[in-house]
Amino acid sequence: MLVSHHRVGRGVGVLFAMLTVALAACGGSSTPSGSSSKSPLLIGVIAPFTGPDAALGPAYFAACLPAARAINNAGGVMGHMVSCQEFDTRGEPADAVPAAQQMVASHSNLMAVVGCTSDEAASVAPILNQAHIPMFCMTGQSEFNKTTFTYFHRLVPPDEFDAFAMVGSALDHFNYKRVALVFGNDIGSQAFVGPAMAALQGLGATVTINQAIALGQPSYRTEVTAMLQTHPDVIFTEALGPTDATYMSEVKQLNNGTMLPFMGTSATIDPVWFAAVTGAIGVQTVVDKFTAVDLGVSFSGPGYEEFKANLDAVASQFPDAPKYSQRGATLHLYDGIMQAALAMDETKSTDPTVYNAVIKDVGNGVAGAVTVNTYATGVSAIKSGQKVRWVGAGGLTNYNQYNNSQQGYILVRYDASGNEITIGTLTQAQTQAIIAAGGG
Amino acid sequence: MSLIVAAFGFGLVSMSIIAISAVGFTMQFGITNMINLAYGQVMIASAYAAYTVNNAGVSIWLALPVGAIFGAVFSFLLNRLIYAPFQRKGTNLIGMVIISLAVSLVIANVLLPIVGYYSVSYHQNPGPTYHLGSIALTGVQVAIIAVAVIVMLAIYALLRFTRLGKAMRATAANPTLARNCGIPTGRVVDLAWLITGALCGVAGTVAGMNSDSFSVASGSEFLIPIIAASILGGAGSPYGAMIGAVLIGEMTEISAAIISPEYKQVVAFAVLVLVMVLRPQGLLAKRGALAAAG
Repeated sequence: MLVSHHRVGRGVGVLFAMLTVALAACGGSSTPSGSSSKSPLLIGVIAPFTGPDAALGPAYFAACLPAARAINNAGGVMGHMVSCQEFDTRGEPADAVPAAQQMVASHSNLMAVVGCTSDEAASVAPILNQAHIPMFCMTGQSEFNKTTFTYFHRLVPPDEFDAFAMVGSALDHFNYKRVALVFGNDIGSQAFVGPAMAALQGLGATVTINQAIALGQPSYRTEVTAMLQTHPDVIFTEALGPTDATYMSEVKQLNNGTMLPFMGTSATIDPVWFAAVTGAIGVQTVVDKFTAVDLGVSFSGPGYEEFKANLDAVASQFPDAPKYSQRGATLHLYDGIMQAALAMDETKSTDPTVYNAVIKDVGNGVAGAVTVNTYATGVSAIKSGQKVRWVGAGGLTNYNQYNNSQQGYILVRYDASGNEITIGTLTQAQTQAIIAAGGG
Repeated sequence: MSLIVAAFGFGLVSMSIIAISAVGFTMQFGITNMINLAYGQVMIASAYAAYTVNNAGVSIWLALPVGAIFGAVFSFLLNRLIYAPFQRKGTNLIGMVIISLAVSLVIANVLLPIVGYYSVSYHQNPGPTYHLGSIALTGVQVAIIAVAVIVMLAIYALLRFTRLGKAMRATAANPTLARNCGIPTGRVVDLAWLITGALCGVAGTVAGMNSDSFSVASGSEFLIPIIAASILGGAGSPYGAMIGAVLIGEMTEISAAIISPEYKQVVAFAVLVLVMVLRPQGLLAKRGALAAAG
């Protein structure tokens, strides 16, 4: 009996040791490098870090780290050092709610939260709004187009705009007429389908097939065979994790070794997606056959250079960070954090109920505001009594009354190293025209 | 019609992979009374072990045994270090299920920092494509079906014709009686974990070969059809699991052709529910090789 107890104890010990390792691995946080007598501030990164959409979380964590570094190197926010912490939603609303509640309940020093994808935004945003925590969300759901959540901010367009940009690019740039829609059956991916169908049909193109594919399946050969029988000119897709890799590999295989052109949403401009799909169908096939729409970012200018320098510098904390140098979401969330920090400096307050309203002013600029591209220059300008307008890694911000900011789109390809190459541009006006034509 | 025939052909590959894994899963339950929900994660861990070797330049066919050995050793250690102590303590079946669920999460979260969140692909040549009417299968897929057939025959031979197989059946039927009859049930259980772990490793590696891309998150997706096939065939019955694999593998593919890919798992599980209503013990529970003798 004693032996049995010991063995059970050993089993429990092993289990807890493994749990400790696991928790240490998945719940990691960055610590500020500087020191200050003032209490530290925290930026929560609430997103999927495990599950089918696990590739999204790291892109957002990669936004937080360089922002925290830039802020801390400038002395922190009014002397408060800043750090980042991951909160895993697994991409499931059921897991996101307790994750958000735990984050809010356990951390009274949250200055802002970034992440909140379409997978979990609908369940997370109300919690954050009620807790008065400014959030910068990556959700593309149209329900946030006219949100009443005053702490909600979105620096990217809704998914339907991505869909319209894809339609515009396919029809105008490539003259494709027959389109197969192959999207994951998750909430985020399906948000593209309705608008894309409406726009394609409204503009006289044909949707040859609309497949909502279950993510993470070992094979999609039946689905691919059905899709190939409709003879599309191009495949529109967003199916994250290994799904697009498996699906496209089978397209190439079942189409006698020839890949069809395929076009992705801005979420497919991602190093994880690139690695998965090139691993399955080869780098050259992706370079030759794949295009995507991405947020209209120039990847240049002083704001971008500052971001890039800090991103490269945090590789010691997060080795994959430099790979996100051209991930639109990473750039925009970095900008959001900077806007929140500068709003705190302008209001001289760490109380979100005070500085939240000023985030919009820092993003859009007010009359007489001086443009700043780095946190240090922003703080300096504020100290000299000036108002500031943040023009950062992602360029200009133009929040509307619902704190939604939108820019134009670019049409891009990958090069063999996974870098984004711009091959066309869709201005906001052009996108709006497609929206109107497509009945959006 | 051609799409349905093609789907049937693809179903042969799916059912082969499910069969290998489901037989291992159901044997674990039959012999050790353990519903191991960490099975899918062990599959993925084994697939990554094979990937490590394959990525170093070794043929995937030579890496396959590495996946099997990894799965065998990993499963053996899981039982010895975690499951068996709890079972000796008298933890009930539900408690053991929860523990295996915890182990599954731990494995996934330990794997993540080691292998990363990137999806990976084996370096493999799919080989020539073989056509039979509307059915088109690559050389790799044909080989996967062949592997499944060999494994199924080997399991049949093991259980039917060897002393170990008979000892496994006796242990599954009544471990106390088996022990009193001189069967070293502890060693039988160890060997059962090694053999079923090897099946798990083979299944994980061929699943990775078939899907062309996999990640840590794939483990939970693999587990669902495995459980379905095992329950459908009759929990604890290897032959039932084989039949369950055929049904689940074909139903998922054919329903994707007839109805919608979105509902392919729904259809499979609807049939599973129907069988459970009409025959709660599963299709072959009474006649399975691991069921009580007589």
